[in-house]
Amino acid sequence: MSDLFANYEHGRFYDEMFASPGVPRRHYERLFERFNQLDGMTELLARQHTADQTFVNRGVTFTVYSDNRGTEKIFPFDLLPRIVPAHEWAHLEKGLTQRMAALNHFLADIYGEQRILKEGIVPREMVETSKHFRREMVGFAMPRGLFVHINGTDLIRDEAGAYRVLEDNLRTPSGVSYVLEDRQVMKRVFPNLIRDYRVRPVETYPSDLLALLLHLAPEHVPEPTVVLLTPGVFNSAYFEHSFLARQMGIEIVEGGDLVVENDKVYMRRTGGLAPVHVIYRRIDDDFLDPTVFREDSLLGVPGLVNAYRKGNVALCNPIGTGVADDKAMYYYVPRMIKFYLGEDAILPNVETFLSSDPKDLSHILANLPKLVVKSVNEAGGYGMLVGPHSTQAQIEEFRAKIIANPRNFVAQPTIGLSRCPAVCGDAIEGRHIDLRPYILNGETIKIMPGGLTRVALRKGSLVVNSSQGGGSKDTWVLSSDDLTVPPLPFHQSQEKIIV
Amino acid sequence: MLSRVANLIYWMARQLERAENTARIVDVNAQLVLDLQSRQAADDPRSWEPLVFVSGSEQQFHEFYGDTASERAVVEYMLFDRRNSSSIISCVSQARENARCIRDLLASEVWETLNTFFLKLNEDDFTVYAQTGSAEYLNRVKARIQLFYGVAASMLPRGDAWWFFELGRHLERADNVSRILDVKYYMLLPDVREVGAALDMVQWASVLRSCSGFEAFRRSRRGQLNLERVVDYLLRDELFPRSILYSITEAGHTLTRIAAAAPHLHANPASDLAAALRQELEQTDTAAVIGGGLHQYLDDIQQKIADIHAAVQTTFIDYPIASAEILG
Repeated sequence: MSDLFANYEHGRFYDEMFASPGVPRRHYERLFERFNQLDGMTELLARQHTADQTFVNRGVTFTVYSDNRGTEKIFPFDLLPRIVPAHEWAHLEKGLTQRMAALNHFLADIYGEQRILKEGIVPREMVETSKHFRREMVGFAMPRGLFVHINGTDLIRDEAGAYRVLEDNLRTPSGVSYVLEDRQVMKRVFPNLIRDYRVRPVETYPSDLLALLLHLAPEHVPEPTVVLLTPGVFNSAYFEHSFLARQMGIEIVEGGDLVVENDKVYMRRTGGLAPVHVIYRRIDDDFLDPTVFREDSLLGVPGLVNAYRKGNVALCNPIGTGVADDKAMYYYVPRMIKFYLGEDAILPNVETFLSSDPKDLSHILANLPKLVVKSVNEAGGYGMLVGPHSTQAQIEEFRAKIIANPRNFVAQPTIGLSRCPAVCGDAIEGRHIDLRPYILNGETIKIMPGGLTRVALRKGSLVVNSSQGGGSKDTWVLSSDDLTVPPLPFHQSQEKIIV
Repeated sequence: MLSRVANLIYWMARQLERAENTARIVDVNAQLVLDLQSRQAADDPRSWEPLVFVSGSEQQFHEFYGDTASERAVVEYMLFDRRNSSSIISCVSQARENARCIRDLLASEVWETLNTFFLKLNEDDFTVYAQTGSAEYLNRVKARIQLFYGVAASMLPRGDAWWFFELGRHLERADNVSRILDVKYYMLLPDVREVGAALDMVQWASVLRSCSGFEAFRRSRRGQLNLERVVDYLLRDELFPRSILYSITEAGHTLTRIAAAAPHLHANPASDLAAALRQELEQTDTAAVIGGGLHQYLDDIQQKIADIHAAVQTTFIDYPIASAEILG
């Protein structure tokens, strides 16, 4: 027996696995024992290699476009799972359900009566100046009263281990295919461990998503046709688009495959035009319809918005959801929860300063080296400043940008995200992680147990985005906190790598 | 099936068939040059120039490589030059791009077969070709494409994807064979007077070999090799799978299968044109064609294949929306 974690450096952050140096938390004990039964780092690295190879063989890759030789890379995967005890998940589920309900109320309201603006809870100009507010949709009756269908809410844990919401992704959140593939690989590499832990399955996501999409179809259509609209094979998330379409058994289409005739949407098939009733679109509002939004968009479908307004086709997510994931709007979500539901937010936000607020602005400008500054409309880790990791020149550059356009920025204190052990080179080291659960809002609000745990694999980095050197871990939500059920007796022969 | 997807498969098949035919043409020419050595030096430009005519892009070739068609220049241009859209590397790379777009339709073995072939080819250049030896190298290229066909044939369900694949392959093959015939005829023309001479036989054998038809011709008991018999065999044999008639007949069958899915397409311009060309080939008197000018005849065949292609596009792929059938 070797102690793989003997040299593990605990650090000053909340550690997911260890309560104190060398002492695993209760829900990690079994994993700790199991990993120490491995033949040291050699076997762990061999298993990591097997896992990586499985991703390559399964084609879970993205193409590096700067390289015209067509090299394909995998999204780095780390073998040490993140484990979420049942009671923690119950708390998250409650909080995320509450948040989704409030965000749906908010979108219904600002595209409807605008009560929250009239009562001054959210400043009107904040909504109207948002890049993603779609004036065209005001007064439009969304199918089934659902104004947002899919949210990928990013959660972090602070130094005390408390879960907090970092941001919402209400447009086209990606990453769910990695959750499903990560689990497939872990089932091959550590099958018994998953069973002993009674990990809740994630595999029903595609059928839950399909049920949601079918629920949105125009009511008079007996057998609706659902398609997935992708920007195309050159999009970095194309693997996910093709994966989800395959899992749901629906057609994956590009803008050029769809045509609108008499306000109805059809896809061009070899035999003629086939009607389309629901579009799971993975392109942003701006590119959907060149006759309404960006004229130069070649990705979209001329006339689509009219067909949508006539109720002949449903879009998922609906048009205009982006206004609610504007990072300045995020600031107001706890107030939305109070306003619409009369409740306090179960999952708190991260403390946030709005540079559009003069008082906050002076605080931001005085504390830039300590803060994380984000552009309100950017995603993917772009357009942000991590004060403590930046040079004086970078800080000054942001200072000028903030002063020039205060509406465009928010700032947050730098949070020491929780860390989880990860395989780094030939050692196990702590790396910062976050969690993106996927919340579906259809007939009911449904949340896949777990979500995408992203890990910042660069030492010391707090940015988990895949475009910035991030990887992923499997997320194990436990069915029960009763961990007293003894594990199956361990035999080397039982837990073989079956690939 | 989505029109765009059908078109991707159709072109994938055409590109691969074209790459295979290019490999055959280069291979046979390299061998022929060896056979001809008594009369023409191997590096005689006249030995390699005709290949440039087959590709139909003489102008581009001379622009890149100057006036002289050396073996090295022609091989580089036809195998490895990405500026030439019909070079083997260009064709295979485009086929692979198409396959990547429809990966969810292809079994993973089908994709992997093409992808590994592409990755290997992508590393090669004239030096590898020369070191391996032309016959060995080109055999490997042909074998990789044949492997792809084999894997695809054993994995793809016989739905639209398969029929568009077959359609592209047979139209491209018919077109390529007509070009091979055309250029060989042009090349051998001065020797027609020597009908029956040993050299003539060697050359006509090479034409058959470039279509892998030498043994088949022998077995077909058509008698001794001569111009008319070889042309007739490649033009009109009903059983030889690389003859133009056979390819057009197959293309016609695939069009029937494609149209079967939609009642309003049972009669369509692409099927009609394929049937007409098939009938014309069946009724062709080869001796008369040779007498009246084979080149013009083959030109006409190529135009008719292009017309079938255009009709496929306007019937199934790029049809006008206003008059399109709306499916239930």
